[in-house]
Amino acid sequence: MKDAPMTPEDADDAEAAEYVVGLQDQAERAATAARIQKDPGFAARVVAWETRLQGLNDAYAGAPAPTLLPAIEARLFPTPARNKGRGGLWQWLAGAGVAAVLVLVAMATLMPPGSGPALPGSDLVAVLATEDARLAFGVRQAGDELAVTRIAGPPAVAGRVHEVWLIAPDAAPVSLGLVVDGPLTVTYPRPPEGWTLAVSIEPEGGSTYGTPTGPVILSAVIGQTL
Amino acid sequence: MSDDPIADLIQSCANGDRAAFRVLYRDASAKLMGVLLRILSERPEAEDALQELYTRIWLRATKYDPAKGRGMTWLIALARNLAIDRLRSRPPRTSDDGLDMVVDAAPLAETRLIAKGEARRLNECFNQLEPERAEAVRGAYLAGLSYAELAEQYAVPLNTMRTWLRRSLLKLRECLEQ
Repeated sequence: MKDAPMTPEDADDAEAAEYVVGLQDQAERAATAARIQKDPGFAARVVAWETRLQGLNDAYAGAPAPTLLPAIEARLFPTPARNKGRGGLWQWLAGAGVAAVLVLVAMATLMPPGSGPALPGSDLVAVLATEDARLAFGVRQAGDELAVTRIAGPPAVAGRVHEVWLIAPDAAPVSLGLVVDGPLTVTYPRPPEGWTLAVSIEPEGGSTYGTPTGPVILSAVIGQTL
Repeated sequence: MSDDPIADLIQSCANGDRAAFRVLYRDASAKLMGVLLRILSERPEAEDALQELYTRIWLRATKYDPAKGRGMTWLIALARNLAIDRLRSRPPRTSDDGLDMVVDAAPLAETRLIAKGEARRLNECFNQLEPERAEAVRGAYLAGLSYAELAEQYAVPLNTMRTWLRRSLLKLRECLEQ
């Protein structure tokens, strides 16, 4: 093959292929992941590569999976009215480097005016705010949807994003997603009292490890006022 | 109902059907565990990743579009992305850390395995690449090897490996589009 420079289109396609094959290092991968979120045309190239290369998936031999379903269901479909020890949880939060944090939990009736858009039939699960309330996130439940909205303060600085985490007692944090411009909405059952919501600062595209990598700037235990 | 039962299950999950989620675990977890184990190598981490993967599947099921691909392809893409992200955020490994083990022996067996069904065309196109480069692309895809690891493995500079594989991938695309 000749060494002519690639057309911009080929360069985009090569980047999409590199992402799908998994050749990039962590920083390149994070940059491409961020691009997929922002650029639907590029995201389509990625899907096209996933389809092109799907024949390789036949080479993955199956391996018996352990019975993890109960643990997964406990994470996803919590049964309320349980308040186990939170030692592990607080250890995690401390380990993740909690900055000055005020936990502020309000029920719908205590909701201050302007705590985010009131979705019809939604109720407030928690407010996560700094002590001076300069930065605050409201978490609301409407049916099966959990919505997280930044209700005060600026977005994260350029190149960084706010990532929202849910932590069941004694369990690892689960990312709910990123709050970038608009509210974050995920299909999720109402988390029970005693679970923790947290916000961390992550590189663009979010934490790539499934646990917070940046500082946890806000957290709140649902149903608990400190 | 479609001819893609996994796609149907994912869509039922998107509608909040927990029974479908259980069936999806029963029917797809062994394949997905195989993917995670191949890339992450270590069973405890693969098991942890499988829990996270199924959490993501439930939460992202609404984003699955059957018009864009088969259900299993979507699930495996989620699994591979999760595993590769975990792999890349591990501390850098030392040169004799089992890398050789990952690549040897596997390619030939895999060539045989994928030489059937809808994978046949892909295999033919792989055969048109230089054997070393085809093997490098396969190794990267299946085991999650990075440019840096492949460069070390094949004893070429990083940028050479990058150029080789970018061109090989575009060549592969051209061949598949014929």
